[in-house]
Amino acid sequence: MYLEQLHLKNFRNYTHASLQFSKHVNIFIGNNAHGKTNLLESIYFLALARSHRTNKDNELILFNKKNAYISGDLFLRGQKVALEIMLSDRGKQAKSNHLERKKLSDYIGTMNVIMFAPEDLELVKGSPAIRRNFIDRELGQMDKIYLYHVSQYQQILKLRNEYLKQLRQKKAHDTLYLDILTEQLAAEGAEVLARRLVFTHQLEKWAQPILADISRQKETLAINYQSSLPSSEALLENEEENTITMALNEAFLNAYRKIQAKEIEQGTTTIGPHRDDLSFFVNGQNVQNFGSQGQQRTTSLSVKLAEIELMKEQTGEYPILLLDDVLSELDDQRQTHLLYSIQKKVQTFLTTTSIEGVHTKLLQSPKLFEIENGQILSENYLEKGQIREKR
Amino acid sequence: MYYPEPLSKLMDSFMKLPGIGEKTAARLAFYVVSMREEDVTHFARHLISAKRDLNYCKICGNLTAQEICSVCSDTSRDRSLILVVEHPKDVIAMEKIQEYHGFYHVLGGVLSPVEGTGPEDINVPSLLKRLQNEEVTEVILAMNANVEGEATATYLSRLIKPAGIKVTRLAHGLSVGSDIEYANEVTLMKAIEGRTEI
Repeated sequence: MYLEQLHLKNFRNYTHASLQFSKHVNIFIGNNAHGKTNLLESIYFLALARSHRTNKDNELILFNKKNAYISGDLFLRGQKVALEIMLSDRGKQAKSNHLERKKLSDYIGTMNVIMFAPEDLELVKGSPAIRRNFIDRELGQMDKIYLYHVSQYQQILKLRNEYLKQLRQKKAHDTLYLDILTEQLAAEGAEVLARRLVFTHQLEKWAQPILADISRQKETLAINYQSSLPSSEALLENEEENTITMALNEAFLNAYRKIQAKEIEQGTTTIGPHRDDLSFFVNGQNVQNFGSQGQQRTTSLSVKLAEIELMKEQTGEYPILLLDDVLSELDDQRQTHLLYSIQKKVQTFLTTTSIEGVHTKLLQSPKLFEIENGQILSENYLEKGQIREKR
Repeated sequence: MYYPEPLSKLMDSFMKLPGIGEKTAARLAFYVVSMREEDVTHFARHLISAKRDLNYCKICGNLTAQEICSVCSDTSRDRSLILVVEHPKDVIAMEKIQEYHGFYHVLGGVLSPVEGTGPEDINVPSLLKRLQNEEVTEVILAMNANVEGEATATYLSRLIKPAGIKVTRLAHGLSVGSDIEYANEVTLMKAIEGRTEI
């Protein structure tokens, strides 16, 4: 899939902007704080109806304006799909193919994007919540039923935690209602966990050869899903695909039964997908604790590149790749690998302050956009050898 | 405030209604000023009467101007069926279809620890009491299809089933007249789960 054009109105520091993109590589070049990342953010927003940087949508609206408007034409399996989002202080309205989608979940998923920003290094280093969000975001783009189960799970979890608190404070006494919430939580938790376990295996399958390649076959990668439910990994190996959810449901019920008294005492739910984590191992060592900066970087890069392939496998189309200032963070070896693997198949948008840091030789005539103060100064296709004069 | 005091007071009152903000309230208040005095008096009287003359039915919890609502006092209805709903407006929706001839029970809410609503805060005790005395053979649960509604329905079914009464709930899935092609993934999943034999 690729985005052919993008129109912005009152988005961040752009009053008006219209851009025509290359199917291959598009480079946003300009000094810091002039709006390069804002462009990537707008593309991300067009795909997922939310920002990768903030949860407060009104930050996205140009200062002193009431609403922002983002639209674009996506080409998907040779068909044009018009996407639009209107954003105001009252919320957002999304349309695909000129039809309003009342539920954002009906809108999300048409356009798939993968964002790679410097903070993605946090995927390996950061808190477990970052890794859970990563799974929810990436799996949710491919599987809407997963999104539904996650949202049900979170709603039930909220009720259950509140009820556990009331039981602890002796404001409530009825354990029948707790049993019902537990059953519902176990059912949704099993649906979520089963999908996450399969996703982790697939991600590992795709990331392994990539990391081996970047490290010149010196390193091997393993990705483990760390479930708060004991023995869930073993269940995945022993059960058939269609019985795994049932088996997990049973396992959750047993686990909750065992710890019910403790959970009431603590007033919160201590087992479930909301407490889980991913861990990455290179040559058998946990990269989070024992990896070098370089290994952490290589691991994140491998995972991101694996996602591209995984999404292609699941949806039949390559997603759109957004690279926010990451090329400068990567050494030659890794940069070459990255640019080589996206070559000609993945539409890519990247930001940089200077073209010198980019191995443009590897790129087939990229399109260059010069950005200054929320304005597009120029847009040109770069031919080989033309780079010096442009800057 | 630039509005004369009686007008701003009226606007304040309008703004207590759901979905009405300052601009709508101003428009409504100005309109009230332009209305005939007789109509305004009626309006005010109806407002007070809606609050004063209505109460909840002693049997089913529905809104009524009498002690017992018109459904509960209808002797031609099927005494073996009770349909449980969240709100009085759900009863009106059900009555409009003129296909259901049993009785109702209005909970007046759902169980929600977040809102602080327990079984004692909604009409659960009165439902259970009704089931002891009457010749009911089936209870139909018609809660809204969200997490709280589901949990409330399951809770009620656990309480009622041991008494040997059949408990059913409304079907989930495709809406009538809709195309499968346009249904979203979750709706289709629910429709497959809830398929029936023909």
